[in-house]
Amino acid sequence: MILGDLLGVDVYNDDGTRLGRVADARFVVDGAPRQLLAEARLLGLVVSPHSASSFLGYERTGLQQPWPLPSLLRWRHRGSFLVLWEDIAMIGAKSVRLREGYTAYSPALDSSGP
Amino acid sequence: MKRLLGVALGVLTAIGGFVDIGDLVTNAVVGSRFGLSLVWVVGVGVLGICLFANMSGRVAAASGRATFEVIRERLGPRAGLANLSASFLINLMTVTAEIGGVALALQLASSVHYLLWIPVAALAVWLVVWRVKFSSMENVTGLLGLTLIVFAVALFLLQPDWGNLAGQALAPAVPAEETVSTYWYYAIALFGAAMTPYEVFFFSSGAVEEGWSIKDLVQSRINVLVGFPLGGLLSVAIAGCAAVVLLPAGIAVTSLSQVILPVAEGAGKVGLAFVLVGVVAATFGAALETTLSSGYTLAQFFGWSWGKFRRPAQAARFHLAMIICLFIGLAVLATGVDPVLVTEYSVVFSAIALPLTYLPILIVANDPQYMGQHVNGRPVNVLAMVYLVIILAASLAAIPLMVVTGAGA
Amino acid sequence: MTAHRLLAPPPPVAGRILDAQLHLLDRQVLDHDGVPVTTVDDLEVSGPALDTELEPGAAAPVLSALLTGPVLGTRIFGGRPPASRLVRIPWEDVAEVGVVLKLGVSGENLDAGWVERWIRDRIIARIPGGRHDPR
Repeated sequence: MILGDLLGVDVYNDDGTRLGRVADARFVVDGAPRQLLAEARLLGLVVSPHSASSFLGYERTGLQQPWPLPSLLRWRHRGSFLVLWEDIAMIGAKSVRLREGYTAYSPALDSSGP
Repeated sequence: MKRLLGVALGVLTAIGGFVDIGDLVTNAVVGSRFGLSLVWVVGVGVLGICLFANMSGRVAAASGRATFEVIRERLGPRAGLANLSASFLINLMTVTAEIGGVALALQLASSVHYLLWIPVAALAVWLVVWRVKFSSMENVTGLLGLTLIVFAVALFLLQPDWGNLAGQALAPAVPAEETVSTYWYYAIALFGAAMTPYEVFFFSSGAVEEGWSIKDLVQSRINVLVGFPLGGLLSVAIAGCAAVVLLPAGIAVTSLSQVILPVAEGAGKVGLAFVLVGVVAATFGAALETTLSSGYTLAQFFGWSWGKFRRPAQAARFHLAMIICLFIGLAVLATGVDPVLVTEYSVVFSAIALPLTYLPILIVANDPQYMGQHVNGRPVNVLAMVYLVIILAASLAAIPLMVVTGAGA
Repeated sequence: MTAHRLLAPPPPVAGRILDAQLHLLDRQVLDHDGVPVTTVDDLEVSGPALDTELEPGAAAPVLSALLTGPVLGTRIFGGRPPASRLVRIPWEDVAEVGVVLKLGVSGENLDAGWVERWIRDRIIARIPGGRHDPR
């Protein structure tokens, strides 16, 4: 699968309600060790109810400057959440469906991240 | 002592390198039609270019990333490509205008028709880009460009009514024979000429070429904060000369010979010799910068290997792209289009493309992932946001004003 | 931001977190000598099969390669290049992810560098001075 195809795809819950669009895919580098970096495993998808476009790097970090850009951009990304791979029922070319009783986690990244 | 010399050299290069064909033509046109009533725009533009050139240099020194890499990474491929198309097209127009400017200046010096000088100028640009060390290229053209100070000398020798000039500059008013919309159209043109995006592409890529680290930032800040404003004063002197000689005579500048006419009148044949050297050096230097900038923007967007610090064979697509750009410039000039006209349009189009270039620089200059502890301070951010609003307003107003005024006619 | 605070943070994981848009896509790729190779135009993920129900407990897909070449055009304008036209840099070759992605191999042998090599060998290196060191 090409990741670019997945970004922007509509996300539905198990009874068919639209929740938003895939804004990003989160990976964690903890898979089978290789020579250089370990395998990067898909941890989950970030779903944004309002817009799936890139938010210039402000979306999931604690960056606050320069006012008022971060607040504006975060406002457009309000309500976004992270859903883990285990809670995804199906990934399709046009839509992603979540399992019944999925958990929405905070998409925020540790600001000390990479 | 060596350090002091380095600072002096940097400042002098920045002054000489500030003025290009866009500044020469636009300032002279404006001076000849509006006197000094638009000088405030030069001030606004110079402060803006200081702010953002300094910021892009700091990003490059802290992270090793030049401006267009940052633009692509932050804006993503779509908006990045839109910016690339606009910036590249403007760059190409500017390359064309600068080479035309070199040829026109050589025509004035030699009485050989400028169309014959064009291939010579383009070949010379390519040879320097191909072969000459980055720092030598910068220093030689910058120092020779300093001879444009003759505009300031000529202004004094013309013995103008200083009170009148100061009055025009300090209490700006639209001259009776011009309309408000042409006044603002030329305000945007002057702003675009001072803040042309290629300057930050070139400045940040130059920082990578010369391998700046955080330690070099003090030097770069002095270069920018002293050199650019003094370069801006040169621009004002060009407008002043035109305001003193051409405005009363009712001559609106449409050619390069009219730009330098006041110098001949004020400073005689010696002045004329100096101004010709200065115009050739300034336009040739800017032709180099814009040619390199077209290579930089393409290479940085697509992730190619680039830079004059590499052997040409180690940056093959970068060098091929610049060769193609020079050929396109040649082809455009061969149609006989007036380089002065190309210049006038290129500065206005520059103003339109400004927001997409300066916004990503500002954002990344605040990102600790790139900058570590060298992120923007609050005063810089406040000023930069004010400028983004100005830039956006100029960008949005440019096309409507161009239509309303018939491109300033 | 307020909405984020209402949601619980995900269970902690041991490895480094990489968000595709935020940390990988559109970043510059350098080879082990620091020479630019390309930009991350897209990413290839191993599986899952599209439009099929995922078994609970199915193994998560992994990043298999960085993609470049014609895929940039289709990412911008839509569509999809044929699989044979995808230019891959395997994830195994990636050594470090930061402001740039560093590879642990030389760019000289990568498929991603063939255009550069072709232009170098056919055009640029044949112009006199093409191999001259400017420093």
